[in-house]
Amino acid sequence: MLNYVWLGLIVIGVLAAAGSDIYDASTNRYRNGEQFELQYDSTSANAAVVSYSRQYFDKFYGVQIEATDTLSFPAAITNNSMQIKLGDKTPELWQTVAKTADNPKEITATIVKRSGKSLFILLPVTNLVRTKAVLDAVISYSSLAVEIAIGLIGVMAFWLGIMKLAEDSGLIKIIARMMRPIMTRIFPEIPPDHPAIGAMIMNIAANMLGLSNAATPFGLRAMEELDSLNPQKGTATNAMVTFLAINTAGLTLIPATAIAVRAAIGSKDPTIILLTSFFGAGLATIAGIAAAKILQRLKVYRFDKTTPESPEVRGK
Amino acid sequence: MIKDILQALSIIAIPLIIAVFVIYAARKKVPVYESFVSGAKGGFEVAIKIIPYLVAMLVAIGIFRASGAMSIFVGALSPLAHLIGMPPEALPMALLRPLSGSGSLGLMTDIMKRYGPDSFIGVLVSTMYGSSETTFYVIAVYFGAVNIYRTRHAVAAGLIADAVGMLGALLICRILFGS
Repeated sequence: MLNYVWLGLIVIGVLAAAGSDIYDASTNRYRNGEQFELQYDSTSANAAVVSYSRQYFDKFYGVQIEATDTLSFPAAITNNSMQIKLGDKTPELWQTVAKTADNPKEITATIVKRSGKSLFILLPVTNLVRTKAVLDAVISYSSLAVEIAIGLIGVMAFWLGIMKLAEDSGLIKIIARMMRPIMTRIFPEIPPDHPAIGAMIMNIAANMLGLSNAATPFGLRAMEELDSLNPQKGTATNAMVTFLAINTAGLTLIPATAIAVRAAIGSKDPTIILLTSFFGAGLATIAGIAAAKILQRLKVYRFDKTTPESPEVRGK
Repeated sequence: MIKDILQALSIIAIPLIIAVFVIYAARKKVPVYESFVSGAKGGFEVAIKIIPYLVAMLVAIGIFRASGAMSIFVGALSPLAHLIGMPPEALPMALLRPLSGSGSLGLMTDIMKRYGPDSFIGVLVSTMYGSSETTFYVIAVYFGAVNIYRTRHAVAAGLIADAVGMLGALLICRILFGS
């Protein structure tokens, strides 16, 4: 299924980008080649404040008129071109124009003619907006993936070290024994004394306490232990999928990130979501475990020891 | 009261876990330094192992988000959202939550800034954010670490959990804060 989801994300993304760009080109959404009229006030020889009414802007671009105020921007003017500095209030359309021309903070426009306080300008030609955004995404997200992975090394090493201490001292086994009645029911395939149980409990406990940077190393340790019981490397076992379903539900006593953001924005009661998100994530956990247990019996998803192994494993 | 206990717990949990684990290991005569280092060695290897999985997943999600395809899905699903009483502003959050952690965090912040963190929509989107994890990230990282290619029903189970989480968030918010 992951194959289809992956394919779907890419194909839908590329098609949607192409479709939206073709539509924009056919309606000339960015009014390429049309003169835009600005009012300007010189502040010095080559600096000015330029302005236009929002009404004129909306009419020019053929969008619904929403506001009637006047927007003004500082600008640097030379003989026949100008740089308009953008601000927070800049309409989205102009922000897109600036972004597509590679500098999101200013627009470089050509001055066509001046008459009195009016300035007629041509904005840079803007096309293939979505396609360019997709190309940028490919590059920036590839780097992001590596950044995330590299950023994990330190924390990962630390918690795996702590985890090893707990394994060597037998603490993990003690923790596992305490939770045995629940764990044997959720993971009937795993022997109750197996180190995987201890690691999974540590992961779930860390998640519950909102310690997400400790939860990931514990979870990955658990995956390694689960994989040691896997008769067919490269294919997920039932226990792995159930464990993952619990993790994707993200059950936590303290949704720390959401609370922090609420507090930062000035909520009167940032922790009001403690109960509600516990409820939501609790339902999600139950549904995830139930779905994993039911789906594992379906023919399409059944664990089949006869399927050929993945190319990498086969090569060894 | 409960809130204070929980908050205090989350702050002291890390030092407490570290102290308990190290002291217990020392009492059991485990050579603590050696043992820690031998475990920590795995950190580098695991992080490097997940890179290809993470690249594959994040790039696909990046393409999807940059293309603006999300608005098509929001448009297609908004009648359904209306039917179950989900505010249209919260629908993108429900769709984005399993795909992108940073994306849904940004969206949550944005919505709360616009409508106020204590408005119904503000409470709803922050509950939604807290009611689920970034499913595709978890799948890429966890399966990547042990080289699992065939994920079987993991995506389906994860997405079912997400859907129930989002609907659960909507349900409890409507019951408690009504609108």
